[in-house]
Amino acid sequence: MGCGADCVTAGPSARPLPLASSYGLPGERMSVPDGVLVERVLAGDVEQYGVLVERYRAEFARYAASLCGDRDTAADAMQEAFIRAFDSLSTCRDPGRFKAWFFRILTNQCHNARDRQRPRVSLERVAGLAAETRDPVEGAEIRRAIEEALDALTPEQREAFVLKHVEGRSYAEMAELLDKSEDALKMRVHRARETLRRLLEPVR
Amino acid sequence: MSGERGFTGEMHRYLDGEPISLDGDVRSEAEHIVNGVRDYAVSLQVPGPEVDAAVMAVVRERRASGRRRAFWRWFVEPQAVRLRPALAAALVAAVVGLTLVVARDDAGQPPEVAGTELVEPRTVLVRFEFRAPHAEQVAVAGSFSEWDESGIPLTLNPATGLWTVTLPLTPGAHQYLFVIDGNQWVPDPAAHAQVDDGFGQVNSVIVVGPRGVVRS
Repeated sequence: MGCGADCVTAGPSARPLPLASSYGLPGERMSVPDGVLVERVLAGDVEQYGVLVERYRAEFARYAASLCGDRDTAADAMQEAFIRAFDSLSTCRDPGRFKAWFFRILTNQCHNARDRQRPRVSLERVAGLAAETRDPVEGAEIRRAIEEALDALTPEQREAFVLKHVEGRSYAEMAELLDKSEDALKMRVHRARETLRRLLEPVR
Repeated sequence: MSGERGFTGEMHRYLDGEPISLDGDVRSEAEHIVNGVRDYAVSLQVPGPEVDAAVMAVVRERRASGRRRAFWRWFVEPQAVRLRPALAAALVAAVVGLTLVVARDDAGQPPEVAGTELVEPRTVLVRFEFRAPHAEQVAVAGSFSEWDESGIPLTLNPATGLWTVTLPLTPGAHQYLFVIDGNQWVPDPAAHAQVDDGFGQVNSVIVVGPRGVVRS
């Protein structure tokens, strides 16, 4: 955002204001279709954006945490994604498909956040770590082995695996969200399983 | 340990949700790794409603600054004005009359121009963190909140003992303190600078750049 001469001084506005959910019946608000909400926001009623935020923060919080590996990183990624989506809402060509459009923004933010947060690990290191953690009481080490095995997946494999096996979504739903064919997504999930098995097999 | 053995096609189809019947051992072998990773992912804490509050604070600020920009743009850009000739003549007469009155009152004095600084009201998301696993509540107060004594509440991650909040701040230097349990004001041990507050204590300082997220 550039600063031109047509700007005025902003007053301090750091205190979070009440959520849009403070207004109206929650049930009514949450049943309004995405397309209607997007149109209302674009018409100037930004409080309606709170409904979209509440709706998709709840739906994708687990997905974001699974991609990022921890809650704080996921929270940052979700905030960035919602704000980016708000800033470019007028470019959402089909408001009725806000969910899939936002999902792609969120996925990119999660991958970026994870890349900033954690260096990529070598497959040899993951396999070595898994081999060292045969003792089931070493729960923390096993968690670390799983975390690093997930980090060894490609971003596309990780998001497909999480959607399939953590979120429990069907391939049809995944194809809708990711705008890929079901066959392509099956291939990603299969490869993710094979990599995870190869890296985590020594834990068994 | 199975060495380089991978999943069979039947195992993949079973895990994909197809109606494949597998023997008990084969089925548990197929499910073992997948379930282990899923259990790990499900055990992760997930972002909660604090995300909604932070996002909406930024969105509302963007709307307010957008309105100010829109007004200023309207104000400085050429506008087509429709005016009745009779009203135009009356306006001209009024302006001339006013000018004559002002000229008589302030003869020889140049008109003063208000020194309003026109600055982009852009904000940057800043994440505040404070580790206090045993605190009941933690808030942050600072120059960006006009040192409101109740402060802006942080949210605790019980697993890490870390309290966090993300706030939209305007670029520049901001002073702040954390408020523990409503009555204990402490500087941020992770702040890159502390300054004398003039009363024998120190305030933490955060300098927000024009782009990106700045951590305290």
